[in-house]
Amino acid sequence: MKTLIIENIDPKKIGELMTVSRLFCDIPDIIALGEGQIPGLFGKAWQTDKTVAANLVSSVTAIIKQENYDVILMSVSTLGTGLAGPLSVALSAPVVTEVTFVHPDMVIERPVYGGKAIIKQKLESTPAILTIRRKYFETAKLEGTTQSVLLDSIDEKVKLIAEKHEQTEGIPLEDADVIVSGGRGIGVSDNFTMLQHMADQFNGAVGASRGAVDEGWASPTKQIGQTGKIVAPSVYFAVGISGASQHLAGIANSKCVVAINKDEDANIFNRARFGIVCDYKKIVPVLTQAIMEDR
Amino acid sequence: MHIAVLAKVVPDYEVPSMDFELSNNRAHERFSRMLGLYDENAIETGIQLKGKTSSSLTIISYGLESDIQFLRKGVAMGADKLVLVKGTSDDAGIIAQNLKQAIDNLEDVDLILAGQQSADMDRGVVPGILAQMLGTAFIPQVGYIDYKNGDWTVSQMTATGQRELEFQGPGVLSITSIPENVPRIPAVRAIFAAKKKPVIKLNGIEQGKMPLQEISVEIPKIESVCEFIDAQDPNEAVKSLLTRLSEERYI
Repeated sequence: MKTLIIENIDPKKIGELMTVSRLFCDIPDIIALGEGQIPGLFGKAWQTDKTVAANLVSSVTAIIKQENYDVILMSVSTLGTGLAGPLSVALSAPVVTEVTFVHPDMVIERPVYGGKAIIKQKLESTPAILTIRRKYFETAKLEGTTQSVLLDSIDEKVKLIAEKHEQTEGIPLEDADVIVSGGRGIGVSDNFTMLQHMADQFNGAVGASRGAVDEGWASPTKQIGQTGKIVAPSVYFAVGISGASQHLAGIANSKCVVAINKDEDANIFNRARFGIVCDYKKIVPVLTQAIMEDR
Repeated sequence: MHIAVLAKVVPDYEVPSMDFELSNNRAHERFSRMLGLYDENAIETGIQLKGKTSSSLTIISYGLESDIQFLRKGVAMGADKLVLVKGTSDDAGIIAQNLKQAIDNLEDVDLILAGQQSADMDRGVVPGILAQMLGTAFIPQVGYIDYKNGDWTVSQMTATGQRELEFQGPGVLSITSIPENVPRIPAVRAIFAAKKKPVIKLNGIEQGKMPLQEISVEIPKIESVCEFIDAQDPNEAVKSLLTRLSEERYI
């Protein structure tokens, strides 16, 4: 099936979409957004440095119609979410978002009810638009680069005034092997320093639940969950996190969850491999010290 | 100025996974119903904008007539009226068609806000479909909104930070949660007043179904069994935890 990837120039995201594309075709084409070379070998490639989804709908629609694609793949992101719905209307195409598994015969799996259930749907026509949830598909190794032609005729419905990338020290959450995450049970913003200290000893990263982000204790870029980042560490320390299903959806691929919570009935213990029912302030400093001494 | 907020009444999204049950491939009817998780953030954002821009605010929903009692919470937060398009479909295309019908019916909508995604189907796709049907821009994951001299300025929360975007004219924005749009709790007086605010009911249409066939809905098996570590002595607890993590080769 003729497949098109639409993605920012990010080897990890493109690598995951490349893995998905191999379920549909041998070599996909790509519309790559951003500056720099396009990693990986593609049939055809278009590129633009314009990255606001609303401005890309017309030009992307024109290419999909001209090249007669069957499957359009994007990651779940501001780009993928921004394009999926509008493209669905422009192309009269079915759209399935947050895809976590692809079965033969165009049967697609995705979570519903905050990950408490899984729905399987069959795409009954092409072109079909899929947004792929991060960390559910292996990152394909991308060899070489592909020369592109300019994607032109960009609309200017929405003007990009400024873009701020938050400075993060250490390992990004998506790549961390150990994550120490805090929820509302942390109590105050300052206590996130304690979690950061612990994460540093593991050479890991600090995350947060939606509740902690809503309290203003952690940046939205640290939010882990269905509508935040999807992570897949070896060990995920959930500290003072109740375990709402929307949060669990973001840690479903963690190999081991360690829950530290003083509420023994907290739902997080139903997902955890190890649980400690205790005030985290008694455990986290001791755990941090133990790792320091072990290094 | 007229702002519309799209809101959906969903089954209780706080039901823990262990207690979740399906009935006819949907959440069991025994679960109580409530306004969607992010829809409340969208309503709060709309109310704040209403104050800043002296706008009127309408909540639009597609769903059951019995949902009105839950939608009134949104009205009590500060909306002026409620429009319900009656229907039962879960199809994103049909839902968007019905919301479009309601917006066309209102005629003068300047900005449409929606929650980032519904708390049942979790798609986040209906606002984008609606925007394209209306011929307006769609911007997802918006936190802050401002209006100056005919331009909307919005902050889009990205995976790595924020973007400031500007556009003119109507647009559809899906709202994410930020500390500034945590939903207000309506005062008792407002709850009573909301019961007197107008509710427009429209009959739904069955147009625009997507070519998608539902095969199954299943609850995934959770195989994790928690091994509790005695925490009476924190030093011993940490020692046990690290030993077990090492034994099972997680660290």
